[in-house]
Amino acid sequence: MVVAAGTNRIDPYLIPALDGVAYGLLVFVAASGLVFCFGVANILNLAHGLLYAIGGYTAAALLDGGWPSLALALAVGVLAAAAAGVLLAGLLTPVAAGNHLTQALLTFGVALAGGSLLVAGFGPDDPQVQVPAALDGSVVVAGHRYAAYRLVFIVVAAVIAAALYLMVRRTRAGMLVRAAVDDAEMVACLGVSPARIRAGVLAAAGALAGAAGVLGAPIIGPGTDTADTVLLLSLVVVVLGGLGSMAGTLLAALAIGEIQTLGVALLPSAAPFLLFAAMAVVLAVRARGLATRWGAT
Amino acid sequence: MSLTTPRRSRALTATLLALVLSVSTACGDDGPGTSASGSIKIGLLASLSGTYQAVGKEIRDGFELYLATHDGKLGGRKVDLVVADEGNGAATAVPAATKLLKQDRVVALTGIVGGGSVAGVYPLLNETKVPLVGSNGRPELKDVSRIWHTSYLSEEPGAAIAQHVRDNVKGSVYAIGPDYQGGWDELRGFTDAFAKVGGKLANPDGKTTFTPFPATTNFTPYFARIKASGAAAVYTFYAGSAAVDFVKQYAQSEIKDVPLYAAGFLTEGGVLNAQGEAARDIYSVLNYSPDLDNAENRAFVAAWKAKHDGSPTTYALASYDAAAVLDRAIGAAGSDPTPEAINAAIGQLGQIASPRGTWQFSTTTHSPVQKWYLRQVRQDGRALSNTVVGDLATVGR
Repeated sequence: MVVAAGTNRIDPYLIPALDGVAYGLLVFVAASGLVFCFGVANILNLAHGLLYAIGGYTAAALLDGGWPSLALALAVGVLAAAAAGVLLAGLLTPVAAGNHLTQALLTFGVALAGGSLLVAGFGPDDPQVQVPAALDGSVVVAGHRYAAYRLVFIVVAAVIAAALYLMVRRTRAGMLVRAAVDDAEMVACLGVSPARIRAGVLAAAGALAGAAGVLGAPIIGPGTDTADTVLLLSLVVVVLGGLGSMAGTLLAALAIGEIQTLGVALLPSAAPFLLFAAMAVVLAVRARGLATRWGAT
Repeated sequence: MSLTTPRRSRALTATLLALVLSVSTACGDDGPGTSASGSIKIGLLASLSGTYQAVGKEIRDGFELYLATHDGKLGGRKVDLVVADEGNGAATAVPAATKLLKQDRVVALTGIVGGGSVAGVYPLLNETKVPLVGSNGRPELKDVSRIWHTSYLSEEPGAAIAQHVRDNVKGSVYAIGPDYQGGWDELRGFTDAFAKVGGKLANPDGKTTFTPFPATTNFTPYFARIKASGAAAVYTFYAGSAAVDFVKQYAQSEIKDVPLYAAGFLTEGGVLNAQGEAARDIYSVLNYSPDLDNAENRAFVAAWKAKHDGSPTTYALASYDAAAVLDRAIGAAGSDPTPEAINAAIGQLGQIASPRGTWQFSTTTHSPVQKWYLRQVRQDGRALSNTVVGDLATVGR
């Protein structure tokens, strides 16, 4: 070993830290839909994990190791999950906005029924996901081997996050959404139907979850408990990051990613409860999460 | 109208129930498991649905294969095989076993995938005094006088391979496994035997690293620790989808060139197809491999391949052997093969010829004293398969 003692101490944690970024960005793309729904349309959507699972199963069914199949799976997964989101918006129409208990019961029921349908359709075993052959290997990063797919995923997810930020900040749809966060009644007075905003937000949330499901399938793969895992992580993001700001959501998601990888590498014996211990600490120190509003970003 | 319908249907249900009861007691009068025609009733309980259905179907098919190749007879008597679904665990296994034991009144029970299911069914076996010739799961049990297993104890794979790892690995070995009873037993078997022959673990605290189960799907942080420990090899046990995740991520990790030794389930059956190229060169220890060179195995594999795609697994083999055990025990139990007589006969069997090689029941644990084999995942024709590369220890007390 010719490495200096100083770098040697950090060296073993390089790959977990990098992997934490990949995991965190996946959690960000998956959770942003839920945060968006909750923050903007004031809908508590407990079927959000199901939307991710739809994307995951689509990836498992369509990917065959080639690039065209990835494009196809992405298109089908995003459309299917967005359609499921619109369907949810339709089901939620009779429920008053802000009535969280009824929303939770309704969407939870949909999540249970949908989960059973997915298992009935795709079987109880965890299906295997085949990434494009060119990415099904490893590359050397700073002297360490790392899965090529995950490295590319970091770039793609960062692009999605940037696009999302620009959309919320710069487009008319984004302005409407930000306006709805600030004053929903005023937006309604200006002639924009709240029902349409709600359907649009749920479709966008579905599309994000579907994209995360397809692209993240090799990381959090489709299976009987995928929907629960993703919903749980997304809810932790809501608790840690608050509802208002995209920066808060990103920060919370990256924190979760690092806790789940770097944290496990540093303190393996605490692995089972590290995430929730961190959540408790954040709540105790700062009850409103790591940052504030979506609009203020 | 609204009142009469439920009342009428209730009366109908009662009549039907009475009818069913009278029919079932009428059948029961024949005595346990044997009918006037000289046929004999055997119950097979296995997971035909749920997480372990792949294993459950192998177990059912292994038993049925033995019957099909032996004129449907065990011990010279026609067999009436009653198959029931174990489901995911004790909650579904116990009602199914209750039906087999109390309604069908089988003379012997076989199969059972999960250790938890065996523990759940155990009191019923004591109550009905029916022997179990289990072919997979084996929990810790106080009294095994009616319990027999054709599979193995969870500690045995690790114990069998420890000496080989000690002799062939120049350096310390990192032990890692899933954090539940099966994982603890499998890894303890290895680490105890490995320490006994002077082996040294690479784990920083000298203890096995256990990963939360089934929550762990990303093994990257653990691989970083293994790399940092400077281990010369890794020993592990995972099964099912965790085995697929572990092997695929291992092959893309920075420790991909560190030799990987495992209990055979890491690369056994369907998971090997899902792992593909990533599994190449992995060493594993198991009590069976389809390429073993003996007459019984050639006949077994040929008969299996005539009916199924692919090669038989250790699960199918254990169930095939359970049928062989019952065949000889029923034959030796005399003109009236009661559950008690069959149980006594199993204890007198001695050496049993099997596709895995000759084995016998341990007098203390009632599980096999058998030879274990070292296998490596290698190219076999177009597919990858577990190829026997050597004999390991004979294990069992």
